[in-house]
Amino acid sequence: MSTPTPVDEVRAQLGELLPRLRRFARVITRNVQDADDLVQAAVEKALSRAAQWRPDSRLDNWMFGIMKNAWIDEIRARRRRERVHAPEEAGSAVGDASAEARDIALSVQAAMARLPEEQRLAVALVLIEGLSYKEAAETLGIPIGTLTSRLARGRQALQALLGGTGEAG
Amino acid sequence: MKFSDEMLMAYADGELDLVARAEIEEAMAEDPEIARVVERHRALAARVQSAYRGVLEEPVPAKLASLAAEPVTAPVIDLASRRAARAETRAPASRWRLPQWSALAASVALGAMVGALLMRGESPPYEETAAGLVARGELDAALTRQLAGSLGTGKSRVGFSFRHHDGAYCRTFHLQQEAPLAGLACRRDDQWKLEVLAAAAPHQGELQPAAAMPMAVLQAVDAAIEGEPFDAAAEIAARDAGWQQPGNVAE
Repeated sequence: MSTPTPVDEVRAQLGELLPRLRRFARVITRNVQDADDLVQAAVEKALSRAAQWRPDSRLDNWMFGIMKNAWIDEIRARRRRERVHAPEEAGSAVGDASAEARDIALSVQAAMARLPEEQRLAVALVLIEGLSYKEAAETLGIPIGTLTSRLARGRQALQALLGGTGEAG
Repeated sequence: MKFSDEMLMAYADGELDLVARAEIEEAMAEDPEIARVVERHRALAARVQSAYRGVLEEPVPAKLASLAAEPVTAPVIDLASRRAARAETRAPASRWRLPQWSALAASVALGAMVGALLMRGESPPYEETAAGLVARGELDAALTRQLAGSLGTGKSRVGFSFRHHDGAYCRTFHLQQEAPLAGLACRRDDQWKLEVLAAAAPHQGELQPAAAMPMAVLQAVDAAIEGEPFDAAAEIAARDAGWQQPGNVAE
């Protein structure tokens, strides 16, 4: 009993990761309820597959990959069921902020919500979660060049949607 | 422009190697347009970042927090099936992986823990009797005397106390040991009967909040509790009455 099992190790780290997992889920699902459901499903999956996680690798990136796959599966299942997408629920994630900051956050979230799935995932992993291009590409299971072009296109779209208000100078 | 937008984006994200970085920095110094593109990439990244920062400050829903704090397939030790199962299985410790965790496997684990304690010469905190699993030793003492939330000196910590629908007094507890356990004990026939026992999150600090109780224990509490958990005064009164059910003292 003295050696912690993989499950113990994964669980021990998951607690601290939850806020970031929730944020990532919020970005990709665009909906508070879907986001927490996704985190729950991903945590359950991670614990049941804990033996597959290499302790020398980053648990956060592993979790993001699980969440991405679970969300893609969920989208496909919804399309199969021809269910309408849950309404976008922007504005829930802005926290304590001034009215102006809140407006900016809302407009960014609305713009993010309009990106195609693959671009939003790239933006979420690199710009929000701070993964390197290489890590993000591995997490998404795509070549680094594909990641780079999705990220660039996502950024261009955001820039176009948001206008130049964020530009300095 | 000498550099592609993707290249400048990668520069803004800190993805380029030293040589490429130096080239771009040189170009930025000469061409304000290049500097502007880089700045635009950085500004956008910062805006996107801060648009979601609020999520990190939100409290994590208890449902999720408890999931990360306890085995997901709830190795709840079903005390009835435990006896039946014990004779059948003797799985080696290395095979205790989550997919296999079940009430059955957990009961084996429990047996092993008790065994380990015996070998180290410590008195086990509970014992199996004909009436079920009953608190012994330090756990029994803590359940009988310790007030909820006090730290005590041993490994047992009482979480909170309440009345069962059937009138019995019940208390949640943590056992802080190598493989931490948490559970629910109810006072029946002058003994603390362990109604639920589950693997708990490792002890993180000096105070173990009630929120760290495994879901299985909290669910058992939800199913059993009459009214609200006791406040300090009600708990002291119950303790001083020896955890006897009112109106049941004579028998």
